[in-house]
Amino acid sequence: MEVRGPLIRFGLLEELLNLARANSLWPMTFGLACCAIEMMATTAARFDLARFGAEVFRPSPRQCDFMIVSGTITRKIAPVVRTLYEQMASPKWVVAFGNCAISGGPFVFENQYNIIEGVDKIIPVDVYVPGCPPRPEALIEALLKLQEKLTGVRRFPVPERRW
Amino acid sequence: MVAERVVKDLQALGVDLEEVPYERRGYCFDGRVQREGILGVAEAFDQHGYFIEDVLCVDFVNELELVYHFNHWEDPRRFSIRVRVKPSDPEVPSISSVYPGAGWHEREIHEFFGVRFKGHPNLAFLFLHPEIEAYPLRKGHVPIPEEDRKVLEGRQPEGEEESFWINMGPQHPSTHGVLRLLLKMRGEFIEEIEPILGYMHRMQEKMAEVRTYIQYYPNTARLDYVGPLAFSMCFVGALERCCGVEVPERAQMIRLITLELNRIASHLLWLGTYLLDLGAATPYFFAFDDREAILDILEGLTGSRLTYCYYRIGGVYEDLNDGFLQKVEEFIGRMRKRLKDYDELVTGNAIFIGRTRGVGVLPKEMARRFGVTGPNLRASGVGYDVRISEPYAGYRIFGPEIAVRGGCDCYDRYLVRLDEIRRSLDLLEKAIRRVPEGPSRAERIPKKPPEGDVYFATESPRGEVGIYIVSDGSDRPYRLKWRSPSFSNFVSFTELGRGMLIADAVATLGSLDLVVPEMDR
Amino acid sequence: MREWFRRIYREYFRSDPIQIGLVGILVVLGLILGLSILYLVGKRLFELGLSYWGRDFIRLVLGMGGVLSVVFGNALLLVWVERKVAGHMQFRIGPKEVGPYGLLQSVADAIKLMGKELITPRYVDRPLYLLAPVLIFLPALVTMVVIPFDQHLQVRDISVAVVLILAFGSLTPLSVFMAGWGSVNKYSLLGGMRSISQEIAYEIPMVLSVIPVVMLAGSLSLREIVEAQRIPYILLQPVAFLVYFISAVAETNRTPFDLPEAESELVAGYHVEYSGMRFALFFLAEYTNLFIVCALATTFFLGGYRGPWFPGWVWFFAKTYLLIFVMMWFRWTFPRVRFDQLLNFSWKFLIPLAMINLLVTAGVVKL
Repeated sequence: MEVRGPLIRFGLLEELLNLARANSLWPMTFGLACCAIEMMATTAARFDLARFGAEVFRPSPRQCDFMIVSGTITRKIAPVVRTLYEQMASPKWVVAFGNCAISGGPFVFENQYNIIEGVDKIIPVDVYVPGCPPRPEALIEALLKLQEKLTGVRRFPVPERRW
Repeated sequence: MVAERVVKDLQALGVDLEEVPYERRGYCFDGRVQREGILGVAEAFDQHGYFIEDVLCVDFVNELELVYHFNHWEDPRRFSIRVRVKPSDPEVPSISSVYPGAGWHEREIHEFFGVRFKGHPNLAFLFLHPEIEAYPLRKGHVPIPEEDRKVLEGRQPEGEEESFWINMGPQHPSTHGVLRLLLKMRGEFIEEIEPILGYMHRMQEKMAEVRTYIQYYPNTARLDYVGPLAFSMCFVGALERCCGVEVPERAQMIRLITLELNRIASHLLWLGTYLLDLGAATPYFFAFDDREAILDILEGLTGSRLTYCYYRIGGVYEDLNDGFLQKVEEFIGRMRKRLKDYDELVTGNAIFIGRTRGVGVLPKEMARRFGVTGPNLRASGVGYDVRISEPYAGYRIFGPEIAVRGGCDCYDRYLVRLDEIRRSLDLLEKAIRRVPEGPSRAERIPKKPPEGDVYFATESPRGEVGIYIVSDGSDRPYRLKWRSPSFSNFVSFTELGRGMLIADAVATLGSLDLVVPEMDR
Repeated sequence: MREWFRRIYREYFRSDPIQIGLVGILVVLGLILGLSILYLVGKRLFELGLSYWGRDFIRLVLGMGGVLSVVFGNALLLVWVERKVAGHMQFRIGPKEVGPYGLLQSVADAIKLMGKELITPRYVDRPLYLLAPVLIFLPALVTMVVIPFDQHLQVRDISVAVVLILAFGSLTPLSVFMAGWGSVNKYSLLGGMRSISQEIAYEIPMVLSVIPVVMLAGSLSLREIVEAQRIPYILLQPVAFLVYFISAVAETNRTPFDLPEAESELVAGYHVEYSGMRFALFFLAEYTNLFIVCALATTFFLGGYRGPWFPGWVWFFAKTYLLIFVMMWFRWTFPRVRFDQLLNFSWKFLIPLAMINLLVTAGVVKL
């Protein structure tokens, strides 16, 4: 599923816009299950996500930039996820947070009848964060990776190994 | 005592009762009755003040067995009443006229097993999606007939012009987790509430039949991710009970300490999110900060922050590390100081009191008929706590003091939870001084549990968690059923919410402390 | 050119505080300088001897330019201030990475919102939906015309300024309702209706608390009210100040009275169907209104631009921002008031209190 960009592109303007977008990514509250608690912990006082600009957690999909899908996608909630994704205003991104959103997590077994194995079967995902649940630092890393995807520059680069 | 009187009444009704050893089975009385007599049995229990704990169904291939659990606040000797029906004619009279709390359990049994309940007001599907083909928890493939697939999608106003249906959720910042409520509104007042669950139905019970006991164990933490240790304790305790495993005392005290820390963490999370619902954003950050302190301690011990796989059958995974007890003691001191901050910021706040006092009153009788347990029940004046009535782990040595308030409204539920934090701190203070030396795990545990069934109950921060395991002697459970406290607490909300304003409904829903995945399982 | 740009923003990301700090200080100084230049140029033009209408026109244009720069600069600043204040009250720091101390966060937000897709749902009532975010600025800008920032820093000194302000202030709920009704959505409608009843209910105490001030000053013009405050009126009229301040919090839809945008009850209230720049306009309007009610509170009760040693406008902004800080303090401390409690509070408590205050003041002034 590809989202086409605009017809006329201005290089410098695009870079400026991407820089601005990377620094003020507003997440949407879409916490479904256990990973939602870790997402909430990331916005709390210790692992403050607002430092990176992602403070305003808007509940309405039209006003936010990216959707953190945290939790298991069941058959009943899949159409809701798809509707919310389509209601978001582009440019938009999706972070699949946790094992359930990546590939169904610990709930996959033979002849299972109720979950969708991975949210990328219904919406396009930009960053995958493995873990059950992933640590809050992992969510911050996901945000930094998303910013790197937009601007091409990695903030707080991890130093290269030299041994 | 009450149990003896009920036994006499039941025997008069023709129930085939026998007493079973509690240490092996988890309940005291086992009765069998024909399906026509179940309504009379329910009435008999109701007259003597019993509350409905659980209704479940087991599929033995040539017959279906319905099990009803009844318990009493003052005389906690559990009754387990069974009804057997043939799969060709699965119809049972419904007891929801006597015990409305059983109404939803019956709905669940209907959609998972195909049992029909005569006289039930509304048997629409609660959990499953409309494309499901076969009853999920039946052993074979039993297809669902068309007329049974009544799923509630939306509602239109019927007749009256002044009311309209509004949809709250499933993506909603207020409901903790994915819960959808259809509210029939008249202006600002709610006339009726129709909840739709199943958005987090992760097939826990079906998975248990496919996996072995050890393979299934990590899933117990994912049921209630805010207070997972109580669920883990339930599972492990049930297996220990039916196999007769003796847990060393050191392991029991470690279990008690971790359970109490988990309780405090869960109440803190509830506090933060409840006040966020009401509009105050700051206590959320304070509560999470304190919770991080607990999570640090538990992470140092178990390795995970949220979903712990720490208990094992017969003990705990690893012994305490250095400095654990000292960290707990520092935490107790810090938390006591911080409770004063919460009191100043929240408890005396006039706006908060105005929002919660007198709102969402849950009277004792209603709580009994719906099977409400936990802090919600204790705020209605009933001092029922599984840690005292059926002690497990270290609670055999220390009994906690229960916090009880009589007001029945949201403000009292808040106060009860704050009191519980204080009591947990007291208990922790006593417990860390009394951790004996010894092994942290039992030496020999049997490979497979014996045939039969077992029930085990613990007190999670939300209420009474129960697990009912039917074992057929192999290493996989034959049937595993969770008695989820949020499910039983939530049923009462459909009754409570009538005639409220939306703001009050939000305040009440928050004060019931629901965690949706444990409702949906 | 491209290389220079790339180099600059690679350095942004590394957040070299000294370099960027200098830039930040320059921006702030630039704003201050801009206002001073406007002032001096205005005075100079006055002495240049243009025809009266020419001078007046230039003065008006410069004044509106100044006002607009104050409005937008203020909105940008307040977004940052709110986040930092909220962060520090909640045990954390707010935005930190985007520029030194997060100062460029609002700039990043603004540019991002400008680049967002504007979704207009098919079923909305187009004229209402599209006009609402624009019209919500109208009362704010009109009020800014008459506020005295300093003795000679006022776009127009109208002799019935108070009436003008109160009249235009009642247009705000109209545009909120336009937004709620125009986005054909049950939640927005509920939010819009709640907003209207709330703002109507709280306008009356506001008017009733301003009248004693007018009586004491003897004039409806804002400049004269400030000039008449040898003793700031907060000391002479504490009750009126309290009533005005509480009504101001309710008028700007801030917690504890923020039910129309209550996030946990109705998903984002009346601006739920707006995206991108339109949403930004609602946000900006909220902060502009915040600035205006605090500026009016300063003018009526705290003595406006009066104060020793520093130039007048420094005192004016200091007092206004102090009141804004108090309002932010309220927001992050109190939970939300329920709707019927809100209306009860206004009709049954604030209005009688304000009326009693008015009668007492009238009696004292007469004597």
